[in-house]
Amino acid sequence: MIGGAWLCLLSPLAGTLLITAAGTRISRRAAGWLSTASVFLAFAGAVWSFFGLRSHGSEHGSVSTAWTWLQAGSFKPGLSVLVDPLSTMMMLIVAGVGGLIVLYSIGYMDGDDEERRYFAYMSLFVFSMLLLVEGGNLLLLLAGWGLVGLSSYLLIGFWHERPTAVAAAKKAFVMNAFGDATMALAFFVLIAHSGSLDFATSFATAGHLSQTTVDLVALGLLGGAAAKSAQIPLHTWLPDAMEGPTPVSALIHAATMVTAGVYLIARTHPIFEQARTIELIAAGLGALTLLVAGLVALVQTDIKRVIAYSTMSQIGYMFLGAGIGAYANGMYHLMTHAFFKALLFMAAGLAIHALAGEQDIRKMSGIGSYLPWTRWAFLAGSLALVGVPPFAGFFSKDSIIAAALHAHWYGVIFWVVALVGTFLTGLYTFRLYFIVFPGEPSAFVREHHHAHEGREGPRTMLLPVGILAVLSVVGGWLQFSPLWHPVTSWLEPAARTLGVAEPTSWQEGLSSALAVALGLAGIGVAYLVYGRGRVAVPRLPAVQRALEHKLYFDEAYDALFYKPAAAMATWWRREFEEPVVLAAGPDLGETAFDAGRGLRRVQTGLLRTYVLFLGAGMAVVAVVFLVVR
Amino acid sequence: MLGPGVVWYLGISAFLFGTGALGVLVRRNPLIVLLSLEIMLNGANLALIGFAREHGGGAGQIFALAVMAVAASEVCVGLGLVVALNRRRLAMDVDRLSELRG
Repeated sequence: MIGGAWLCLLSPLAGTLLITAAGTRISRRAAGWLSTASVFLAFAGAVWSFFGLRSHGSEHGSVSTAWTWLQAGSFKPGLSVLVDPLSTMMMLIVAGVGGLIVLYSIGYMDGDDEERRYFAYMSLFVFSMLLLVEGGNLLLLLAGWGLVGLSSYLLIGFWHERPTAVAAAKKAFVMNAFGDATMALAFFVLIAHSGSLDFATSFATAGHLSQTTVDLVALGLLGGAAAKSAQIPLHTWLPDAMEGPTPVSALIHAATMVTAGVYLIARTHPIFEQARTIELIAAGLGALTLLVAGLVALVQTDIKRVIAYSTMSQIGYMFLGAGIGAYANGMYHLMTHAFFKALLFMAAGLAIHALAGEQDIRKMSGIGSYLPWTRWAFLAGSLALVGVPPFAGFFSKDSIIAAALHAHWYGVIFWVVALVGTFLTGLYTFRLYFIVFPGEPSAFVREHHHAHEGREGPRTMLLPVGILAVLSVVGGWLQFSPLWHPVTSWLEPAARTLGVAEPTSWQEGLSSALAVALGLAGIGVAYLVYGRGRVAVPRLPAVQRALEHKLYFDEAYDALFYKPAAAMATWWRREFEEPVVLAAGPDLGETAFDAGRGLRRVQTGLLRTYVLFLGAGMAVVAVVFLVVR
Repeated sequence: MLGPGVVWYLGISAFLFGTGALGVLVRRNPLIVLLSLEIMLNGANLALIGFAREHGGGAGQIFALAVMAVAASEVCVGLGLVVALNRRRLAMDVDRLSELRG
């Protein structure tokens, strides 16, 4: 089982290195298949460790250390992997969904000039993500955390000739670096108190620390989690990250990397449980994000941005679940979300691919008549997202909502927010669906649509979409609380769900019924407004403008951080660089030139002058020697 | 020890060196300048040999041999230059050969 974990970790790394080393000696197509094979091999390793862990009994997580990674006094973290229920679950999701998406990329990226670079980055990302989830101590987790940020940056800016893509990549990197920094600070505090970053030691230490210290550590961790998972207030990078290729959005910015924050909270839950305030803040951020992102998604016109806001909103649910102590429910929603959100992105990618890169939903309308299967797949993903039974989202999302109702007095607030969120989810998801897929094809679609060898896309793209469509339907049947709950009991040794987050059956029933009803109501409203066009969109110009500006977060950050920094830089340039630094160069040159002009008089060209100087020099040396002695 | 003392040798050595140096400084013909240089070197040689005899060591004599080797090679180069100057019918005057100046 440990062998499986190492195979899982190292296979994508080997893929990256092979593609990089082979360079142009292998074809672009071969690079794609190499990358796909490396990720599927990682999935095989994940399955191996899963079954190994099952046969050993899942309560025995085990750590395997290859060697001491670095040593500083008594602080010596090893290069180790951890196999426990939580990490195997993440390994399966990351490598499984990742493999399907890399396979899809072969068709999507076909014909791009720099395919090999793309696939090397994809393998690198999968390796980094696996390092994050498998790392046997917090330092390796942080290393993986930084590396996924790097590969995300590289892939968002993959089309580096587009200025918007480069700007988006920089934005994502800077915001994530902020989160990395707060996490590193939290780890420094832990090292100062326990001298170790091993999970067990750190968690044991957290129990003895003062309340303020634990709060600080948890706050640092929450900062990292919120930045990576695009939660308010560190969320503005995610919609811009849609500048990257669509499979990248599916893999990194929907299925895996952005959910790392939820994994972090579940992994370090002993620390968060010592810091109840911070955990409450995490849940509150989740609730706020799911509401705000749901609202903003209502007015976006770029198909990928709508799905990106929906991702933020769904991660908000996961944060809410993890924040109130329902770790298993959060992780379960993470899994089903990986299925249906990757599906939505990839189905949208098929439509974008068929329209030669067009992403504006107003131009795409009626594409469904050319892409019937894609339409069904997108519909399945949408229903799963809204949480209509028996699709996957119903089972995972409703359990979070029910858990919120049971949790403490403030749980009711979260419960109401989450229910409003389901209504919004139904509304924005089916607004997208009704605008893009059904109906008469628009003139733009008729003109630009091109079929791919009589199919809706290359086989490598259709197969993963089909598999994920099936998973979006049946993937939720794994757990139906409270009737059967294998995921919760599987995760129990690693992240035991708190008692406050275990709702009674009437709470489950009430929440599910309300959530489904509100989701369906959202779909109904969307149908009336966008499907049939019977009801006009209510005219609220002020609200609409605010939402179109994404509630002015970008503008506020611009005014708060960018503008002062830019003004300060300008001031320094004008007052210091130009008069002092830049003026110093010519001055130095002038001085040297003057000195040379004076000195050149000595060079007369007359032999006897030189001899005289020589003789004089000798005389001086002789006198000096005689006097000094 | 037979013969005159080391002071005599040093006197002649200084006289030779001075004569040579004067020649280098005041004469204009490159050939004579070279000749004067040789006289300076030989003056130095005489001092070396004189001291070697005084102290009874062999080092000074070997040094003198090395100086002779240097002098021979220097004359080769110097005479080569003089021949080249002649061939190009340039003035045999070191003061007029002063193009290389600042």
